[in-house]
Amino acid sequence: MTAVVATDMVHLTPARAAWQRFRRHRLAMAGAVIIALLVFGSVFGPFLLPFDDKFIDIMHRFAPPLSGAHLLGTDELGRDVLARLMMGGRVSLTIGIIAMVIAMAVGIVIGTFAGFYGGIFGAALMRFVDAVLCFPAIFLLLALAALIEPGIVATTILISVTAWMSVARIVEAQVRALRERDFTAAAIAFGSSNLRIMFKELVPNAMAAIVVAATLNVAKAILLESYVSYLGYGIQPPAASWGNMLNNAQIYMTSAPWLAIAPGVAITLAVTSFNFLGDGLRDALDPRLDIH
Amino acid sequence: MSDETDSVKAVRPAATGPSRRVLMVLGAGAAAGLAAPGTLFAQGARPSTPPDRPRGQIVAALSQEPTAFNPLMPGIEVDQAVWWQLFSTLWYIDAEGNFVPDLAREVPTVANGGLSADGLTWKIKLRSGVTWHDGTAFTAEDVKYSLELINNPNFRVRNRVGHSLVKDITVVSPDEIHWRMETPYSPYLSILSLTFLVPKHVMEKAADPNTSPMNNAPVGTGPFRWGSRTPGDNILLTANTAYHGKGPYVERLIFKYISDLTVLYTQFRTGQVDYTGIQGILPNFVREAKTLRDRTVVVSSTSSVEHIAPNLDFGPLADKTVREALYMAINKKAIIDALNYGLPTPTETFVPQQGWSYQPGLPAHVFDPAKANALLDAAGWARGSDGVRAKGGVRLEFTNSTTSGNAVREQTQQLLMQDWRGIGAAMRIQNMPPAVMWGEFWQQSKFNSALVSVNFMLGADPDVTPRFGSGAIPAKGGRGFNTYQYQNPEADSLLALGARQFDLAERKASYGKLQTIIRNDLAILPLFQGVIAEGMKANLRGFRPNANTSTNCWNIREWYWA
Amino acid sequence: MARYVVNRLGQAVLLLFIVSMLGFAILHLAPGGPLSQFALSSQMTQEDLDRITRQLGLDRPLPVQYADWLWRMLRGDWGVSYRDGEPVLKIIGAHLGATFELMATATLIAVVLGCWIGILGAIRRYSIFDQLATVGAMVALSIPTFWFGLIAIYVFSVNLGWLPSGNRHTVGEEGSLLDMLHHLIAPALVLALVETAMWGRFMRSSMLDVINQDYIRTARAKGLPEWRILSQHALRNALLPMITVAGLQFPTLLGGALVTETVFTWPGMGRLFLDSIGYRDYPVVMGILMFSATMVLIGSLIADMLYAVVDPRIRVG
Repeated sequence: MTAVVATDMVHLTPARAAWQRFRRHRLAMAGAVIIALLVFGSVFGPFLLPFDDKFIDIMHRFAPPLSGAHLLGTDELGRDVLARLMMGGRVSLTIGIIAMVIAMAVGIVIGTFAGFYGGIFGAALMRFVDAVLCFPAIFLLLALAALIEPGIVATTILISVTAWMSVARIVEAQVRALRERDFTAAAIAFGSSNLRIMFKELVPNAMAAIVVAATLNVAKAILLESYVSYLGYGIQPPAASWGNMLNNAQIYMTSAPWLAIAPGVAITLAVTSFNFLGDGLRDALDPRLDIH
Repeated sequence: MSDETDSVKAVRPAATGPSRRVLMVLGAGAAAGLAAPGTLFAQGARPSTPPDRPRGQIVAALSQEPTAFNPLMPGIEVDQAVWWQLFSTLWYIDAEGNFVPDLAREVPTVANGGLSADGLTWKIKLRSGVTWHDGTAFTAEDVKYSLELINNPNFRVRNRVGHSLVKDITVVSPDEIHWRMETPYSPYLSILSLTFLVPKHVMEKAADPNTSPMNNAPVGTGPFRWGSRTPGDNILLTANTAYHGKGPYVERLIFKYISDLTVLYTQFRTGQVDYTGIQGILPNFVREAKTLRDRTVVVSSTSSVEHIAPNLDFGPLADKTVREALYMAINKKAIIDALNYGLPTPTETFVPQQGWSYQPGLPAHVFDPAKANALLDAAGWARGSDGVRAKGGVRLEFTNSTTSGNAVREQTQQLLMQDWRGIGAAMRIQNMPPAVMWGEFWQQSKFNSALVSVNFMLGADPDVTPRFGSGAIPAKGGRGFNTYQYQNPEADSLLALGARQFDLAERKASYGKLQTIIRNDLAILPLFQGVIAEGMKANLRGFRPNANTSTNCWNIREWYWA
Repeated sequence: MARYVVNRLGQAVLLLFIVSMLGFAILHLAPGGPLSQFALSSQMTQEDLDRITRQLGLDRPLPVQYADWLWRMLRGDWGVSYRDGEPVLKIIGAHLGATFELMATATLIAVVLGCWIGILGAIRRYSIFDQLATVGAMVALSIPTFWFGLIAIYVFSVNLGWLPSGNRHTVGEEGSLLDMLHHLIAPALVLALVETAMWGRFMRSSMLDVINQDYIRTARAKGLPEWRILSQHALRNALLPMITVAGLQFPTLLGGALVTETVFTWPGMGRLFLDSIGYRDYPVVMGILMFSATMVLIGSLIADMLYAVVDPRIRVG
């Protein structure tokens, strides 16, 4: 079996090979499908529903799911929970993904440079990382709140600002170790440019760790969004996000549990799916794993 | 919903019953506070009496942490809950609205000679035999020291309203003190009912009164002594067996800090706390709480008025017609019945309805969006293509702010947003954490409009000069708290008049007129008078809500276990 | 090595200085102030607020206030809280014990359980155990803590009555050890859930990386017994990246877990920090900031040193 696959792959481009490996990862495929569904639902769902996510119907608040026209019931202001869940999905998924991308980009660049060059330059970069790490997340939150008005952009920046440092540290440690390996020495001997070595040789080789960190980061970003709402800097009402929906549902947990279950399940599904997706990508992008 | 409606009725005083009684002259020695009916809170059918000596302990949960223990220094509501246990005042106002002497032997009146007819000379006779917690006797020197400390420029006193008028304090004997007021100022009696006295012999030892031992090991004359404090968690007080008044009936009193109201309610449910104080039980839990076994829930009115605070200097809100239209488009019934579970009572004024100065018969609010639309049309506020009205280049557009995280207020805002949109007014929600909201943003009137709950009373007195006086606008260099930026010469003269009057009937007339003016001007858009739902174990006796004391912890000294 | 340590310590002092300056500026320039909490009180007017601002010295230019703070700090005076007048160090000390008790317990559970799950998952990749552990970890990482904590309280305290619904001791009783442990179970487990999942994920990933390396394959080719390969070669190298993770986690040991502390009414550092920021209690916020910054720097230094000690390929410096 192993031999057959290996021979097959000789004829495949690396991208095709990665896709082959990814497809075999059932959980990752499931994750990808769920994410696709969530994105699709958030983008197109609101057009298919007869309800406006912001329309308040005070006479019909706390309608349980499936009790009437409202599939997931209504919330504390009589708004359709499904419509809010879809609109909230737009906000939360956007924030989660963009914040992760920003955090990863900044973290990888700083980590790679620091790890590759080392010395005073590397040390200075890593001390900068340390300096930012010295500020607890709530404190950075306070600083940003002073500068930008609460909203989607603010929340996204806020989350990426608190997340990139751990990526930088992990990448730096990996690159520092990989730098000492034979293939790096070989690349240097062949006269490759530093940038090429860093981003063509070192970063791909550190990809396994990076992808694991990235998946954990989307998870963190989507969860942090609810935490930011909880602290009063989040998405302002009446706009919905999964975080503020879950947060608002807190006090109705016994009397109207569906209000907390809907966004809670959405967050858990999305985050879990991203993690599985990352797992699959990790295997797919790391050719050495084909041995098994 | 019926049980909640019933309880509101129960708490609401029997119309004007008690207030009519208070309509006597202050000089005749009667009441000046808010009255709540007393008989309703006799809990349980089995009669019981307090024990002979202190027995057991009470765990009282608070949703904010008390941190300020010198009662003359800056503190908030929750700190006062602790002050009531450790300290005493010269007199206090009870639940029926009567002044009751405490450290004073009697409340000064013109009739008993304590007050001169012009209101300038005050002669106070003190109770003898009172001792501080360390055993030292309480004397007139302590009163003198307290009043002088308040006026000491180096002392970080909470406030000097009224106190700054006190001159020529003379200690006549250990149990008698006299002073002169610079100008007659009737609210001072009420202010003193919330001024806790501090011990001279303890404070004197500190070189700097701001860092005296009172800050972390307070000594008072109150029913409980200072025990210990675990910062961020609890404060332990023990019974003062030498207390000069009734009680205390429990050995230990523990104030437990629980920051989250849902968690606080859960701990009450599981019996880990005996009483839920200050913010009490969230309205959505009240119905369930009433069904809990061995628990009692009491819903009572507070002196706070929930209202929309317009910034009267801000564009469209400066126009009275706009405010009228906005007020008319508020679905008050939905806000009270649905969002607040029918607990509060609608109001049209800033004075609590139980107060002697409450003005009944003010124009009642009607929910009438059609009329609101017509009003705006007639005033020239024309709808634009996006449905938002404008007049003379000013769009009918504004933000509304409140502290973020307050679920019910955020719901109210969203409902207002939708209803106002219907009359062509675009409101946007801009909420902030408390430290930002109540900072410069509020103090310097940088908001458009806000949704707030304010206790307008000075002690229990309706003197609202700092709130509505034209000289009290901080944004215009004023010294008060008129962040609405309300200015009305007629209101100013009524405020000046009321503060000089000592006859309660005359004062009632002045403040009645004032309330009519403020209602007509819609200086605030009043929603309802606040309520608090507090829960306690069913066999805990003695709880009596008292809106005059700003905390229902005022009489824990009289609480006991049946 | 000694020179390296001295060097790093020097850098740390410089960093602390920069952090203090930035932190001080951010804190004081952020909207709101320590007197906001009194602004709604019917007892205090703008005049009173202005007077107290003056008395606290908050009306002075910012650089002057900073210089004053720094000068006191250098002499070991961390200042006193605006809220309760207690010395900052005493306040931090009072909250540290609670935080350490909770975090150390949770971390211990998480590290032991997480590493075990991670290693086993990597060795028996795609086994039922691995798949269950993976799914479990993913779900654990995806549940918002306050939501999970509240559910735990409803189930175990409200309905079953097995565990207290929060607090560190029974209120009003000087806690016995048993009482303390009884109160510790729920918050520690809730906190450990997420941490276990995190450690498990990192451990599994690191272990997988290692067992696919050439030298492990060489060892296998040489016919060394599997357990020897794993325990002597793979594990040692797989634990390396864990040191970085541990270094990053170290400050949270003393920094507290805000959400868990709130849900379980645990009087720890997280709540203190949030409350202090909420009330803009500048001296306490600065104190905690300096304290946690020191912890972060120490954590980072220890991680780097350990990394150098266990991995001879890494040159320090």
